[in-house]
Amino acid sequence: MPELYLRLLNRILTPVLLLLALFLLLRGHNLPGGGFIAGLMAASAFELQILSRGHETVRQAIGPYLNSAIGLGLGVAICSGIAGLLEGTFFKGVWVNLRLPLLGQVDIGTPLLFDLGVFLIVVSVTTFYLLGLSRASDGAISQLSGAVADAPFDADSVGEGEAATGVAPRGRAES
Amino acid sequence: MLAASIGLLLTSGLILYLLRPERRAWAGWLAALPPLAVTVWQVDVSAASVFGWGAAAKPSLLDLQNGAIQAERYNWVESLGMVLSFRLDGLSLLFGLIITGIGAVVALYTHYYLENDERQGYFYLSLFAFMASMLGIVWADNLLTLFVFWEGTSVTSYLLIGYSHQSAAARGGARNAFIITAAGGLALLVGLILLGQEAGSYTISAIISRPGLTDSPLYPAILILILLGAFTKSAQFPFHWWLPGAMAAPTPASAYLHSATMVKAGIYLLARLHPALSDSPLWLWALLVCGGITMLLGAVIAIRHWDMKALLAYATVSQLGILTTLLAFRSEAALLAVVAGVLAHALYKGPLFLVAGIVDHATGSRDLRRLAGLWRALPLTSAVAIFAGLSMAGFPPLFGFVTKEALLEGFLKAGEHGDAAGWVALGAAVIAGAFAVAYSLTLLWEAFLRPDVADDQGDAPLTPAGRLRAQGVQVHHAPAAPFVAAPLVLVACGTVAPFVLQPLAALITPAAAAIYGGPVQKYVALWHGFTPALLLSLFAIALGVGLFLNRSFLRRALNLLPDGLRGVVLFQNILDGIYALGQITARFSQGYTLATQVAIVLLAAFVPVVAALRYIPLNALMPAKEPSLGAPETILVLLTVVSAYVTVRARTRLGAIISLGVVGVTVTLFYIFFSAPDLALTQLLIEVLTLVLLVLVFTKLPPDTRPPMQRIKQARTILVALAAGAFGFFLVLFNSSEAMQAAQSISGYFLENAVPGGHGANVVNVILVDFRGFDTMGEITVLALAALGGYALLHAPRVHLPDEKQSRRLRAQGGSAIAGGSPAIADPAKEEMEEEPTNLSANSG
Repeated sequence: MPELYLRLLNRILTPVLLLLALFLLLRGHNLPGGGFIAGLMAASAFELQILSRGHETVRQAIGPYLNSAIGLGLGVAICSGIAGLLEGTFFKGVWVNLRLPLLGQVDIGTPLLFDLGVFLIVVSVTTFYLLGLSRASDGAISQLSGAVADAPFDADSVGEGEAATGVAPRGRAES
Repeated sequence: MLAASIGLLLTSGLILYLLRPERRAWAGWLAALPPLAVTVWQVDVSAASVFGWGAAAKPSLLDLQNGAIQAERYNWVESLGMVLSFRLDGLSLLFGLIITGIGAVVALYTHYYLENDERQGYFYLSLFAFMASMLGIVWADNLLTLFVFWEGTSVTSYLLIGYSHQSAAARGGARNAFIITAAGGLALLVGLILLGQEAGSYTISAIISRPGLTDSPLYPAILILILLGAFTKSAQFPFHWWLPGAMAAPTPASAYLHSATMVKAGIYLLARLHPALSDSPLWLWALLVCGGITMLLGAVIAIRHWDMKALLAYATVSQLGILTTLLAFRSEAALLAVVAGVLAHALYKGPLFLVAGIVDHATGSRDLRRLAGLWRALPLTSAVAIFAGLSMAGFPPLFGFVTKEALLEGFLKAGEHGDAAGWVALGAAVIAGAFAVAYSLTLLWEAFLRPDVADDQGDAPLTPAGRLRAQGVQVHHAPAAPFVAAPLVLVACGTVAPFVLQPLAALITPAAAAIYGGPVQKYVALWHGFTPALLLSLFAIALGVGLFLNRSFLRRALNLLPDGLRGVVLFQNILDGIYALGQITARFSQGYTLATQVAIVLLAAFVPVVAALRYIPLNALMPAKEPSLGAPETILVLLTVVSAYVTVRARTRLGAIISLGVVGVTVTLFYIFFSAPDLALTQLLIEVLTLVLLVLVFTKLPPDTRPPMQRIKQARTILVALAAGAFGFFLVLFNSSEAMQAAQSISGYFLENAVPGGHGANVVNVILVDFRGFDTMGEITVLALAALGGYALLHAPRVHLPDEKQSRRLRAQGGSAIAGGSPAIADPAKEEMEEEPTNLSANSG
């Protein structure tokens, strides 16, 4: 069972990758990184999970949040633009210099908020596609190799069953 | 306070939505409060200057004609000179009072009309957003501010018409209304921008006081574009047909949007810009012809319809035509008639729609063939209908009579001044007036007064089943008191109005003066003496009664008109044509295997470059610097070429995937060599993700057993690949050429301003999120939309199921042709792989 090693790797690597993504997001404005890269990094963490635990498990864990995260990302990005209205015009950067306990002097501004929106959208869209494609490939494969119809093909139930479970092996109409 | 009022309406819509109004008995009263508050505020703020209350001074109309009661201004996009500015003057005040006053009544009514409907909150949300947009239009003092709110009414109107989205009629009506008004909106935008550029200012109050706009060479274009916007919004011929289609909206929306307010937005726009644009023959004839046709068409067709709302819709179309025709003229009398007409129309057509809703609610039908004698069951409602209906017909001494007198007077005056247009308009108005009498009486008699369904209109072409049902309907649901009170209030206002014209003139005259662009001395009156207008009015009534008595003949005659002439049908044909064109394009560009689709995209990029190369001498493409090729670069280039070649020649899928990965990694290394860490990181991550995904999908598939590609296909693929490679090569070459390097580059600016301006040392990131934030915004929006598209694709039936015959043929082949492996499935697998793209595009098309 090769997935055993993957699961072990997943245990160790997924948190590391997610933390790395966060790190890349936060430092992005001054060093290589940023919303796009961090989003892809986080998505690769989820991909590792999909590989090791199957897409159903991952879908149950984070699937319900993906669509909302896309909307949230757009919302955050637009809000960061609207905040610029305070300074006079849409999308104008608004910056505050804060003195934080551990980090010292930190510049915080709406472009960082915007980057957060980018991150949310990239990670959720990518993960959405990964989940969808792995399900689709599962379905196609089970259709192709699951071969010849165990269950009789029922035209009415196919659409719903697929929409609900997504992996329902589709039988071929035999007779 | 103007902006605050708009904000108040927006937030109260949201609050109502969250309150779940369908569960609370008092929600209707609560909903009526915000518009009522804004109405009271408007009266209060203009009390001293307009009505002469409280203040010591008498109302000084002359000050008001060019002065504003209140004005506000907010910055929006400073760098583009865009501002949100509002201004309350006579005309805005009149329209604002109509919007919020009727809005309060409709808000109360809605709660009873949509009782127990769990989407009531959503309706309130859209309704209040619409109300706010409408107020924005009439209060705006900037062309672009006006446009933004104008579009707001289009969108909210779409949502309101399509409220019952289960019904195909509602969806179709909403779509048609939206396409027409939005297309008109685009024309309007161009027109407004041209106007603003030509006038040198986007401030409306500045534009209308600026003389000589009609002499500009751009004037015809400006006028036509603005008229397109106004005519589509106000349902003027040839765009009149969307309004009856919009009657699929819930009745409160029909009453409010499609008779009292939104369709008047076009009228308002014409009135607002009247001082600046009206002094030309083009204005006169465009408005006269379109308005005249609309007025006649609406009036004649109205009587044909059995649905109360459809009849009222065509009556509204006719009224809007009359208002447009009046606006064609520049006389005080005509403009006074416009203002009085707008007010009167809101006060009788609004209640009539509301009554139609009550009847529908109480009996379950609005069909005149099935209704009769409602005065017995719904006495108060019928009284409202009778007062409003007689006002619509123009019987003395109701408000409708006053406005009809005024408009006939206006046309007469224009005619007497030797204006041929005046006589034309007068004739049309008399005919339209006669038909107005006929359809009003038909509505009142058949629905409310006649004793029995089968009295005198036995010719109603009902289906046999319909005739069975047409035994008359029963009132099964007595309306609640506030439900009837809503139209009652409006009708009471309309009935009292003719007797208080003196104080009302304080409201009407400044509005007319704002359209006229100077002081107005005339007044509307209930009794002018025995004038020609009165005689014409009486003649129209007599003619109308005659038409009413012969209505069955009229209906039969009108039903002979062919269907193909109807605007809706013509429009649907145009739409179908556009869809068909889209399908042909999709089939042409996407109806093949994935490889062909990719080839089409690549060639589409390649062709323009080849075309452009013809204009560039080849020696200009030489790089500015002598290229220096070190050992690392050479190795990388070789590695890339070799791994690309291996990918093409790979025997197994896994091999191809891995060597493709090597290509990606070498490209990443290039980025690192040329110090672009962000690009390298992104490329690497994308490479990892796609690689793993490909492995995930392809390794599980059975081995590829397809025969080798045909020679001709191979050659074609190689050609496309070479073209794509050449495309990239020349693009890079061009970018590094002397000419391009010498041209001023923006990178210097980015490098200098990243830290001081963007507060970040990573220039790439600062460009993404700050300098070019707008671009990124667009990109992530596209990304989010791609997720939507993917959702549709991935949830569609994924793999084409071959039909019975095809699959039997496949299985027959599968058994013989394939040796080894798993013969039973290998061939279908191949078939699926080839068919899938076609299939997907068929689904998405």
